[in-house]
Amino acid sequence: MRAALARLAADSPVPIFVLAGQGAAGRVDGLRLDPRLRLVDSPRAASLLLVAGRLPRSWLRPALRIHAQMPHPRVTVWWPLGYAPRSLERRFAGVVRVAAQEDVAAVLVRLQQALLRRERASEPDLLPDVDPAPWRGVGPYGQGGKGMTGGVPFGRPLATRAADRDGLELDFLPIRVGPFFPPLPVGLVLELRSQGDLLQEARVVEPAPGRPLPGDVDPVFLRALAEPVPLAALERARARHHLRWLAGMLRFHGLHALAGRALALAEAALVGAAAVRALGRLLERTLALGWATRGVGIVPPEQLRGQPLGPVARAAGLAEDARSVDPAYRALGFTPVTHREGDAHARWRQRLAEAAQALELAERAGDRLLAGGEGVVEAPRGRLTAGGATASPLLELLPALLAGQEWGDAMATVVSLDLPPVEPVQGASGVAA
Amino acid sequence: MAALGAVLAVFLGALLAFLLLRWAGDILNPTPATAPQRVPFLGGYPPEVHAWNRYHVRYYAMALLFLAFDMEMVFMYPWAEVFVREGMVALVEMLMFIVILVIGILYAWRERALEWA
Repeated sequence: MRAALARLAADSPVPIFVLAGQGAAGRVDGLRLDPRLRLVDSPRAASLLLVAGRLPRSWLRPALRIHAQMPHPRVTVWWPLGYAPRSLERRFAGVVRVAAQEDVAAVLVRLQQALLRRERASEPDLLPDVDPAPWRGVGPYGQGGKGMTGGVPFGRPLATRAADRDGLELDFLPIRVGPFFPPLPVGLVLELRSQGDLLQEARVVEPAPGRPLPGDVDPVFLRALAEPVPLAALERARARHHLRWLAGMLRFHGLHALAGRALALAEAALVGAAAVRALGRLLERTLALGWATRGVGIVPPEQLRGQPLGPVARAAGLAEDARSVDPAYRALGFTPVTHREGDAHARWRQRLAEAAQALELAERAGDRLLAGGEGVVEAPRGRLTAGGATASPLLELLPALLAGQEWGDAMATVVSLDLPPVEPVQGASGVAA
Repeated sequence: MAALGAVLAVFLGALLAFLLLRWAGDILNPTPATAPQRVPFLGGYPPEVHAWNRYHVRYYAMALLFLAFDMEMVFMYPWAEVFVREGMVALVEMLMFIVILVIGILYAWRERALEWA
């Protein structure tokens, strides 16, 4: 029976958990469209761990913990994407490296089948199989002590108490999520304190406050800072960014079929605004999406005024857009789209409308050039200036925004803000892995 | 005696199904979970404290209201029998009982016991 089940499993899509390192963001979305693979949101559901791109040193420990959480049989695969350092291979014993010319999906399918046919042994544990502390009470035989169980159950102390909003003394559960927690952008680490399903407190651990983020934008926006670029290329890149984000948001809300459609639109070479608007009508009719996002994570416009926050600011009613003063855009009759509510619902509708608008502009622009070189360009996440990286003002708003929300709403808020992936400080982690 | 036999058969059947499922689980995955595998997935960091915690059960007001109306239904089954014999008098008595309960629910509504969180 086991052999029959293994054969059945070998023919189904390969469940993989992806650790998207530096330089991997856009490439991982490509894998989602491959019918041979199934990207899962938890290492427990995966049999293959795919490390894509460069894994900075400070992420190695979390990566090892995730590896230890995967069930047997399992294999780690490294997809270097042009990054050379080999220290990852030293720490992950038995990691399979995808060669530059190989099709990564084919490699993953081959490994999965070898695992299930037992032609390949499962990777051993890289972390010791011990609890962080022994479960021992105060008595001579380890029995008794304070609390429900005495001692330290499974090596972890019980939560301490604090007053909740009803004036009751109840347990305060600290939860540190990230850097590879799928609803959050890669690298973001949040320290959340929950009482029941309610977050009482939120703190951003990584990135450190005020640290500039390099931002993950299409290179065409960086080029536009210095030199003239085709306006159509810029707008198509914008639409692609918003559609990719939309796919991630829909995936978070469990609307996988719609997410697949959005991602297919994002990855398609030439897509018309009509297709995006059709997707938008479908999303408007998806009642569950409206219920899950309306009134969630409202950012008041006064906190956003003057900040380079693009769609987030425009979703709150501020018509701030670097494009509206650009002569090339003015010639095309550009006026920024805005929404009023400033909640997660307004934000996805804002990005959807901007994606459709960007594609319309691209169609009308022909081979018109954007002058460029003015040192300012409206990127998908907001205004980009030649000074380069700045700390995202949204990260400073995040603690106040998340406190008092239920878990699901808090995660929906983080998703709706489209935070850029966080990369560890460059100098400190010069050596990969 | 036949009833006892039926109860025993159901009990034995349930026990057998339970043991079968346990056995199937052990056969399909013979290795017990390791310490890192027992920990919830949080994206790479281990939890600092154990997940056993006491939190406010916010639905308790709704649960109490549900219990009140659940018990009302229990009273209605024997009442149906009485209603056939007594007619209008039984109907009026039941109506009084329900009106008292409805006043209770209106009170709970006014006190915002039906609002979630």
